[in-house]
Amino acid sequence: MTRLRAEGVTLGYDDQAIVTNLDVEIPDGRVTAIVGANACGKSTLLRGLARLLKPSHGAVYLDGKALNGMSTHDVARALGLLPQTPTAPDGITVADLVARGRYPHQGWFRRWTDRDDDAVSRALDATGTADLVDRPLRQLSGGQRQRVWVAMALAQDTDLLLLDEPTTYLDINHQVELLRLLRKLNAESGKTIVAVLHDLNLACRFSDHVIAMADGAVVAEGVPAAVITAELVEKVFGLACVVVPDPVAGTPMVVPS
Amino acid sequence: MAATSTAPSAGAFRATRRRRAARSLVVTVSLAVAVVALFVLTMMVGSFRLGADEVVASVLHLRDDPSVDFVVRGLRLPTAASALAVGLALGAAGTIFQQLLRNPLASPDFVGINSGAGLAAITGIVLLQAGGLVVSGLALAGAAVAALLMYVLAWRDGVAGYRFILIGIGTTLFFDGLTGYMLTRAQLSDARQAMHWLTGSVGQAGDGELRLLLGAVLLLLPTAVLLQRQLRALELGDDTARALGIRTELGRAGLLATAVALTALAVAVAGPIVFVALVAGPIANRLLGPATGGIVPAALAGAALLLTADLIAVHLLPTPLPTGVVTGAVGAPYLLWLLATTNRQGAGG
Repeated sequence: MTRLRAEGVTLGYDDQAIVTNLDVEIPDGRVTAIVGANACGKSTLLRGLARLLKPSHGAVYLDGKALNGMSTHDVARALGLLPQTPTAPDGITVADLVARGRYPHQGWFRRWTDRDDDAVSRALDATGTADLVDRPLRQLSGGQRQRVWVAMALAQDTDLLLLDEPTTYLDINHQVELLRLLRKLNAESGKTIVAVLHDLNLACRFSDHVIAMADGAVVAEGVPAAVITAELVEKVFGLACVVVPDPVAGTPMVVPS
Repeated sequence: MAATSTAPSAGAFRATRRRRAARSLVVTVSLAVAVVALFVLTMMVGSFRLGADEVVASVLHLRDDPSVDFVVRGLRLPTAASALAVGLALGAAGTIFQQLLRNPLASPDFVGINSGAGLAAITGIVLLQAGGLVVSGLALAGAAVAALLMYVLAWRDGVAGYRFILIGIGTTLFFDGLTGYMLTRAQLSDARQAMHWLTGSVGQAGDGELRLLLGAVLLLLPTAVLLQRQLRALELGDDTARALGIRTELGRAGLLATAVALTALAVAVAGPIVFVALVAGPIANRLLGPATGGIVPAALAGAALLLTADLIAVHLLPTPLPTGVVTGAVGAPYLLWLLATTNRQGAGG
């Protein structure tokens, strides 16, 4: 069963298609990594799945309904997104930012309730940012900041969470920390998580399902051990390599040859 | 025992939120009190001094005293009401622009709205020998056309903040150049009237224009407050706002339209009074805590500023000056400071 799927979607900017006629299903309750070379259309696909881009052909379906026919509010209550480079007003505090994640649950006149307090607090606890609430976002380290943004997306309280290159500007330690956090969220609440990732080895290590893309098409998908092979890496990234088992977890590890 | 809080940090977050809400309430109420006090004070001072009780009684029609009523309702109330409404409108419009374009420099004085209104008004004064409501109407139309022009020029897959500001600065220079040309063509008496209008003064409001502005403020301020939610989401960038379920283009168009209408009507009544829109939002933020961006506190800060500026311009200086001179004198150093500090932080864009 899959709640989120794309059928024959063509996505692009200014009439220039980047992803053409693509079908993809996101497995429920799993961590999915979308990988591929630069400009292969992986972020474009994620934006399409999150409704930030309207497909020129085909459609993205959430629970069997076409995403573009749904109210923005309903989509926002089912599907959270962390964009690649989110912006925040100067001086905003962590508490203020994370609280804004509750917008989809509020209406024009609906006031803040205990449920909102609770959702925000749970998001802060899950991401280990509870003791930062009074700090301005600007003063935090890159890793802390990214966790705060994840907390904002979590406060939205959605079953699906999409992340566009969440590890890009982080050092290796914070990359691993963030991916562990995503795994934990998936294990504890069964959230479906989809992330565009650059690092193949980390993608293999932390995801249940990999979607490998090249030139706007899906080249292979499935469990990392089955998908990530030397031939695939050669085909997708043009890199000659050897794939060996990761000495710690046994997942595929790509070593350039 | 409250059964609602399941998360360990629930108490801490709730306390933070309540503290901020309390601060926001205290600041807003204090600003409102200050505005009312200044509003009454401007009507007390002058060559014919009055007590606060006399002013309040006369404004609220509690008592009949022909000489007091003449001074208060006839002479001082229109100026005070115009300062109040213009300040509210500019304060609200300024903070909306700044938050929407994510730049402290993006107040309507700098993105071409005021210049558009100025050019249209001056053209009317010089070419048509117009005055009163016609000049105001032209200013209104000029502001609207300038805003529309910029929206069209800056449009590409939505309106990006930076481009909007750069195009705004360009349009401002273009309009100012044309205004200068218009002034060289003018008769001496027209030029004097035009220059006075261009400096901006709350005392020049006519009855009709004032009523229009007051009505608009009563209608548009609540609209702006309703749109505050969209504004807070749009501040986080279009992608995040859309992910939060905001219809971004619709929200932005609504906010821009509200802010442009408020600015245009304020300019139509009082001329292009500078810097109030620029500083009201940052002052409110200083009081509320960073990035809280309340539209109502910003509007109140704008009103307090303009009422104070008018008091200084008319009563404290040896010769009465147009209000715009005072706001300019206070605002210019702030602008320099803003330019210097945002450049250093690299947060200008």
